[in-house]
Amino acid sequence: MVDLTGNFDFLQKYDNRVAHLAAQAERYVHSDPDAALFKLRLMVETMARTLIEMQVPELVDADLSVMLRSLQRSGLLTRREADDMHAIRRDGNAAVHGYDSTTPTAMRRLRDAWRLSRWYAKIVKRGAKVQASEFKPPLPPAEDASQRAARLRAEALEEAVEARRDRTREALLLFGDQDDITAMRWRLRGELRALEGVAVAVGEPIVDADFVALVMAMDLEQILEHPSWGRSSQDAKADVEAQFEAFKAAHSEAEQAYLHERAKLAREARSGA
Amino acid sequence: MSDVDLGLATTWFLAARTMACGGDEPSVAEEAAAGLFARAILGLDEESCIAAKRKEHMQALTLIDCMAMAGQLPRGTADQVMTGVMMIAYAAASMQPLQVRWASMLASAMDMSEERFQRCCVNARVVASMLPHEQEAVGG
Repeated sequence: MVDLTGNFDFLQKYDNRVAHLAAQAERYVHSDPDAALFKLRLMVETMARTLIEMQVPELVDADLSVMLRSLQRSGLLTRREADDMHAIRRDGNAAVHGYDSTTPTAMRRLRDAWRLSRWYAKIVKRGAKVQASEFKPPLPPAEDASQRAARLRAEALEEAVEARRDRTREALLLFGDQDDITAMRWRLRGELRALEGVAVAVGEPIVDADFVALVMAMDLEQILEHPSWGRSSQDAKADVEAQFEAFKAAHSEAEQAYLHERAKLAREARSGA
Repeated sequence: MSDVDLGLATTWFLAARTMACGGDEPSVAEEAAAGLFARAILGLDEESCIAAKRKEHMQALTLIDCMAMAGQLPRGTADQVMTGVMMIAYAAASMQPLQVRWASMLASAMDMSEERFQRCCVNARVVASMLPHEQEAVGG
């Protein structure tokens, strides 16, 4: 019997459907982590749909990743919330597609969902004060030594994979989480203005600013695809596609290795049950 | 991580940040485009990207330093960096006067002809059109 902590009770007065899905995920987190992740994914999808209805109603039937991207572009979804939602989407998809999940994965995403829920409640109630106590992980049912060992191995794997994902994310971002983007923007714009002054004083450089502006405004493919001059954009596209494919293959290989290892641990935990 | 990779990563992230900051508030599209470009197109490893962005490493550098570093790049690599910088403008679908100035200064620092610059712009537009799909493939 799972000891329910009612982490999501506060959500009922803001969105009953989302609160219900979260409570189900909380209930399944130890007994059926795949089901918990599925419920959390559905919860995020329901949240996204509500937010999209407020922002971009024409996208209400789009798939989850399209909705999340649109919410990010609109500025409603900050980087932190977007990361949490994408993590739930990714692990929920893996569960739906038959990769066995473990309780540590589901627990981590449940914590993300709780954090998201507080933010979501504020958004849907337009800045209302949300009263939610700290997250309490649902307690596991009694476990024997082998189950405990399997859980600890799954937790260690989950930690290692999250650290790797954090590193990948850190490498991919233009600005770090700790960077003061406003200060950096102020400094760089100041330097650009000074350079602008120098350029005007000494005469335009080789590629002058008017030319850059003109090129940006032109239909470039029509110029460069002329048979006597330049390279076709289809060739450029093929080159870029090959480079993206190589990068995605390496990324996907690492993710697949993780999913298989996690599924193996989940099977071990079940066979020890 | 080699010195060459760190140098390229530093040049890239400083040039890309300047392009993003030259416009309105840096958008999600611009932010996400930069790292993916560094990893997939410039072929930089995670370590170099992270080290280049460390505050103590980056904050001492000015745009003059960035142009000097860009001017030292081999021609093919310089073209890739220019492509990435212009991709940021295409990803945001706009270009402000300070961004135009930055593209112009950088192209000149790379001793780039107008034809080379236009070629970079074609590639930049191609890459920018592919980005939303690619970002999703690596986890959003």
